[in-house]
Amino acid sequence: MIKITDLHFTYPGAAIATLNGVDLEILQGEFIAIIGNNGSGKSTLCKTLNGLIPNFIVGEGSGSVTYNGEDLWKMPIGEIANCIGYVYQDFENQIVCPTVSEDAAFSCLNYGHEDYVKKGLDALVLCDLLDKKDDYIWQLSGGQLHLLALAGALALAPDVLILDEPIAQLDPAHATQMYETLKELNEVHGKTIIVIEHHSEYIAEYCHNAILLHEGRVLWKKDARSALRECQQLIDCHIFPPQITVAAQQIQQKSGWKQDQLLPTTIAEGKKFFEKMGILPDFKVRQEVMNSQLAIQLSNIDVQYRSVKGESKSLFTNFNLKIFAGDKIALIGSNGAGKTTLMKLLVGLLKPKSGTIMLNGTDVTALRAEQIAAHISLVYQNPEQMLIKESVRADIEFAMKERDIANYKQQAQALITLFQLDAIAESDGRLLSGGQMRRASLAIGIALEPPILLLDEPTANLDIATRQEIIRTLDLLKDTIETVVIATHDMQLVCEFANRIIVLADGEVIGDGPREVIFNNQAVRRQAGIEPPAIYQMAEQLGGSAYTIAEFVQAYQKELCV
Amino acid sequence: MKVVTNQLWDKFSIEFLRNQVLKNAYGNDDTVIAKIDPRTLLIWYVFFGVLPWFMHNPTLLLGLFIFVAVTTRLTKVAPLVLFLFCFGILTQSGYLLIVSWFFGGDLATLGPILIMTLKVAITSLASITVFSGLNPDRLASGLLWFGCPDQFAFSIAFAYRILPILMEEFQNILLSHRLRGKSPNSIGWRGKFRYLIYQVKIIMFSFLPLMLNIAKRSRTTVEALELRGYRYANQNKIIKKMKLRQLGMGTVDVYFAIVSIIWLWGCFLIV
Repeated sequence: MIKITDLHFTYPGAAIATLNGVDLEILQGEFIAIIGNNGSGKSTLCKTLNGLIPNFIVGEGSGSVTYNGEDLWKMPIGEIANCIGYVYQDFENQIVCPTVSEDAAFSCLNYGHEDYVKKGLDALVLCDLLDKKDDYIWQLSGGQLHLLALAGALALAPDVLILDEPIAQLDPAHATQMYETLKELNEVHGKTIIVIEHHSEYIAEYCHNAILLHEGRVLWKKDARSALRECQQLIDCHIFPPQITVAAQQIQQKSGWKQDQLLPTTIAEGKKFFEKMGILPDFKVRQEVMNSQLAIQLSNIDVQYRSVKGESKSLFTNFNLKIFAGDKIALIGSNGAGKTTLMKLLVGLLKPKSGTIMLNGTDVTALRAEQIAAHISLVYQNPEQMLIKESVRADIEFAMKERDIANYKQQAQALITLFQLDAIAESDGRLLSGGQMRRASLAIGIALEPPILLLDEPTANLDIATRQEIIRTLDLLKDTIETVVIATHDMQLVCEFANRIIVLADGEVIGDGPREVIFNNQAVRRQAGIEPPAIYQMAEQLGGSAYTIAEFVQAYQKELCV
Repeated sequence: MKVVTNQLWDKFSIEFLRNQVLKNAYGNDDTVIAKIDPRTLLIWYVFFGVLPWFMHNPTLLLGLFIFVAVTTRLTKVAPLVLFLFCFGILTQSGYLLIVSWFFGGDLATLGPILIMTLKVAITSLASITVFSGLNPDRLASGLLWFGCPDQFAFSIAFAYRILPILMEEFQNILLSHRLRGKSPNSIGWRGKFRYLIYQVKIIMFSFLPLMLNIAKRSRTTVEALELRGYRYANQNKIIKKMKLRQLGMGTVDVYFAIVSIIWLWGCFLIV
């Protein structure tokens, strides 16, 4: 269907080619994942397919791209859009109309389809958004927005859909919904689907084939399962294979125990694999001791939100929570459960209608945010919004300089070294990669050494390698900052970092305790839509419990090596 | 006192502004005015925006004023807009009065100033009715019909689309400044003044990061507009016609026109 031969492309002004001789064939009805580390040319490759290159983005290119035998680069962009739909990674910027139905029909109207309204509605049906058709886009949650961006592309009824990281900003429940939608489009409606994806668990579950892109070249195209078994090669390209595959590979390596079976990629495969080993793993249960000194106490909090239409909505009613010094809390719950609201309350950005907030024994309910900023610090979800100075160094120094801390220069340097920002300290933060920007924002957040640190989605929108890097960086924080609260959807982060999990649903705490308690509580898991990491589910299937790959491997090691 | 200042502060927060802007643009799409065809309203607006300037009879003007006041009431306009309207009218007449007294005017000047104020008020309220009562998309289609360039019409609708994003971004950047910077102590009059200066300063400092962030975002938007055929549609007259087909006059328009005409006629009869 799509055939790419010897494709080269260099962005204007760039020293090296982004695409360096790509040869690729994509068949009708394929569900294919493109994997590769940052800068390997994934997005560029996709843009050569939707006509943005070379029609809109100029650069030096050679080679050929054909669609059903026709030269794609000679087709007008409007014609391409009718064949190939594209959904951006930052999909919210792709939505240009204020209401859902209008946006869905926007492309159809522009390309002059007479029945544009119907086509828009049809696309909404496919994306399960029909009941939202009259809503304004800011009434939608992140997951729904993403589905709307998909609907906007689908409305033109293209045969091929390209999605750039479709689930990076979604909680696990919505991510699964997204992939189920894609699966249906693929199987029932016969669409060819191309995703750029980092989440190998989803690749294993949904994709047929995978392409590994490295330095602008296609290394191989394999069926998805065997692609993910190439553990070492994937890790070398900074891609993380499924947790189960990694665990199985490590156990194989460490034990020297060989078996001719293939490495497992899904839980079902894993079950067979590990059961065949015939060893009962020894999963130990860890119990953390809760600290008893109160750091924050929220009592009887009521919070209301202004809405665009009608009455204010109440989000928290008689909300109570205690946070202790030394807690490493993961705040989880689906989108809209109240995580961000709770964080805003804690730093004083949002004032409760009634109730009190005590911070280290002082009542801070009425204090302005700037008055408590030195005691509690918030790192936003969007790191760009923390970059207010001309360079990363100036940003880190800013808060200390303003507060007349004598040796602020040395302290800033220490932070820059700690977070490995030396090479980029003098550049504008906005131009950095996602991971670097995130590290910089963490350094900025802890510059004043606050005893309490709040992090809003620190690993959202990052590829897995960068995520691991951030998780390691957060480990560094454990010793510097006493109390940390992380709002997140990332269950791997939860398992590796938190000693206490608070589950929110509709403005209420429905679960509170160490991971052992939360993950074993099926009712809470269902209500909040929590999907534990694959490795936990694997262990659960085997009748034990493990939260990280290391713990899982260890359970086997005891049996195998001694 | 603390509570009162906090509440006042709350009213000036960007969050509040954002809410009011949205409310004004989209929160009133279920009113009678919103159901009227944008073209009817635009014609109505030209009439009510121009007519008062050719009339001098206070009774007649008062009649018009009552009418536009009622239509404004019908649009369920956001309180902030009404507040700005009253504030504008009062300060304007107030300053005219003071200036006229300064140059030797007496109580007799009050009459003409009141008439003048009435004219300004009628025009403003008519604007509020049309521009708040219509949601931006309908307004844009209306303008398009009257031959206004598509780029302009689209930018009205699109501005409202990104305004909430823009304001949220701005709010967060301001917060970065507020939380990490050190605000001066705001006790006493001098403190309050210092605090005000500080606020203005951080607002100024926040603009550059805001612009840079928006520039980063708009890259995707520009590409997406291209992919979604925006430019293609602009060069095509048939598509413009298709866009305008959704406009349609109905019974509401007829009633609205009849009521307007009868009211005007009544006013003239009384005079």
